[in-house]
Amino acid sequence: MSLSRQRRFVTPGPDETVEALALRALPDQAVETAVDAIRSWNLHIFAMRKPAGLLLGSDVVFVEPPVS
Amino acid sequence: MFDLIVRDGLVVDGSGAKAFRGDVAVKDGKIVAVGQVSGDARRIIDAGGRVVAPGFIDPHTHFDVQLLWDGAARPALEHGVTCVVPGNCSLSLAPLKAGDRRQVVGMFQQIEEMPPEAFTQAFEWTWEDFAGYRAAIETGLSINVAPLVGHSVIRLWVMGPAAQQRAATPAEIVAMQDLLRECLAAGAVGLSTSFVDTDENGRPVPSRFAQFEELDALCAVLGEFDRMLQCVPEFYATDITIARIDQLAELSLKYGITTTFSPVFDNAGTPENVPRIMARVEEQFARGAKVWPQMQTRPLDLSFSFLRPSLYFARLPRWSRVLRQAPEIVLHALRDPETVAKMVADAGPDGGDKMLGRLICRGGDAAPAAMVGRTLRDIAAERGQGCAQALIDISLENGLDVAFLDADIGHDNTDRIGPMLAHPLVHIGASDGGAHLASFSTYGDTGYLFSEFVRKGGHMSLEQAVAKITGETADIWGLKDRGRLQAGLAADIVVFDPDTIAREAELPTFDMPGDGMRYVRAATGIDTVLVNGQVAYANGAYTEARSGVVCV
Repeated sequence: MSLSRQRRFVTPGPDETVEALALRALPDQAVETAVDAIRSWNLHIFAMRKPAGLLLGSDVVFVEPPVS
Repeated sequence: MFDLIVRDGLVVDGSGAKAFRGDVAVKDGKIVAVGQVSGDARRIIDAGGRVVAPGFIDPHTHFDVQLLWDGAARPALEHGVTCVVPGNCSLSLAPLKAGDRRQVVGMFQQIEEMPPEAFTQAFEWTWEDFAGYRAAIETGLSINVAPLVGHSVIRLWVMGPAAQQRAATPAEIVAMQDLLRECLAAGAVGLSTSFVDTDENGRPVPSRFAQFEELDALCAVLGEFDRMLQCVPEFYATDITIARIDQLAELSLKYGITTTFSPVFDNAGTPENVPRIMARVEEQFARGAKVWPQMQTRPLDLSFSFLRPSLYFARLPRWSRVLRQAPEIVLHALRDPETVAKMVADAGPDGGDKMLGRLICRGGDAAPAAMVGRTLRDIAAERGQGCAQALIDISLENGLDVAFLDADIGHDNTDRIGPMLAHPLVHIGASDGGAHLASFSTYGDTGYLFSEFVRKGGHMSLEQAVAKITGETADIWGLKDRGRLQAGLAADIVVFDPDTIAREAELPTFDMPGDGMRYVRAATGIDTVLVNGQVAYANGAYTEARSGVVCV
C-alpha cells in the first residue's frame, strides 16, 4: 500500500526564525508573503501557543494549507 | 505437586482462540499446564462458572509515585490488572538529580494533576538513577511494572536548565544516548516523549525543545535494545497527529522499533478524526512500520471543584491562573469584584451558559443537597444569575468545596467506539491510571470494556476483548513471558465472572498522602487475581503477597 498524500510539513532548525523557516519552505515567495502563509497554516504555533510564535525544535510546521 | 490449580474455569487464554473448559496449573510462579490437569496442588481455586484469563496489562499509566507507597497500584489490581506501564508522556521519576526534583514534581502536578503531598509525605527520595528508582519500588510490589523512562527527565539530567531553552549539542545528544542505554539496561521498557505538555509555569516540557535528530538518536538506542517509544501527539488536531504518525513510522522503519501514541479520541464535533488517523495507521503498517494508536474504552468526563487546580479550565486562562492557587488565595481573589467580572466576561457573552451550563453539581462536603444532581443552568436560573457568576458564587458560599461534573465531553458513542476498539490495529489503553486524581477515575476501563462492548454492544467477543488487553498488549510491548495462559509463562491470572465484570460508580475517596482526594471506581465481578503465581487479590480483599516484579 502506498502512502496517500497528506499535508507537507517541516520541523524548525536550531534557533531558526519564522522568517528563515518561511524562506526555506517557500523559496519562491517574498519573505513577508511566506511568513504570512506559514502563520495562517499553523495556528497551533502562532495563535494557540503562549508566547505566540515560539518555535520549538519538535514542532510540526505545515508548509501548505489543509489538503482538501 | 503443583503450587496451585485454577480448576474448571472457562479458559480464555489471551491469544484470541476460542474459550474452553479447563484448568490452569501453577508452580514456582509460572504456568506449567493448561487444559485438563490431573495431580494435586497445595491450593485449589474453584473457577466454576468463571473465566480464567491472563492478567490484564495497562500500557498507559502514571503510577510512578504511587508505586513508592502502594505496590498494588490500587485499585488497578482489583480490576484484574497485573502489569502497569508508568513513565508515559516524557515524565518519569528517574533519572532525576536531587536538585531537579522540584521541577519535575511541578510537571507531574501540572500535567498529571497530582497533589504535592504525593511527592513529599509518603516516601523518602533515595535515588537519582533509574536503577535506584527500580530498587525503591521493587521492595513492595504486588503488581508487575514495565516502566518507561521519560525524554524530558533525560534531557533535564544532561542539559540542566538549558533543557527548556534550546536544541541539544551533538555532545549532549551522545550523553543522552548513553543515559538512555543505562536506563534500558536497568529495566526501562522504553522511552516516552511529549509534543504537547507544559510545566506548571506554562513552559513547554523539555522534550518539546528536541530537534527530530535528537529523537532519532534516542530511537537508535531503543533499536539496540528492541524497546518501545511512546509519545503524546497534538491529539486535538488531526493533521498534526497524522504528521506525528509519519514521524513515528519513519523511526519505526529505520530502527525496527515499535511505537505507540496516545490518546486518540472520538468526538461528535470531529467525526472524521479517528477514521483519518486509522487510515494513515493502516498505510504505515502496510509499509512495515509499527505505529500503534492507543484508545481508551471509557467516555470522557471531568469533575472539578475550586479547591484544587483543574485541567477543566485550560480553555479559560484567567480562571486557570486564579484557581491554581492555594484555597485561601482563591477565596480572596473571588471576593474581588473586578477579578470576578473579568472571569465572567471570559466565559462568554451568554454569561457562560454554553460553556458551563451543562455542568452537574455532583456534591462535595459543603454542597447544598438541593443542588446535587442538577445542572448549573438550572441552578443559575433559579438564582437569577448567569452560569459563570453562579458557579463562582456557589463555590464562594460553600468554602470552595462544591464539585461539578462535565459528563458530556466526548468519546461516548458506544456504536462508534465499539468498532474502533475492535479494529485490529487499535491498541486498547490510555487509562492514565494514577493521574488526574481529582478530575476523573482512571480505573475500571477493563471492566467497562466487557460490560459495554462485549455484553451490551456485542462489538467484540469475550476472547477478542481478553486478547486486546493481554496477549496483544504483551506482544506490542515485548513482554515476552506475559499476556497468555501458556505453559512456561508467568502466572499472571485473573478469574472473573463474564456476566458481571464491570466498573462501579465513580466516587471520591481520601486515601492519598495527606488525606488527599481522588476519584476511584471499584471493580465488579473480579474474583481472584494472581501475580507471578501468588494470590494478590481474592474475594474482595488484597492479600499480603508482594510477588510483583519489574518486567521487561
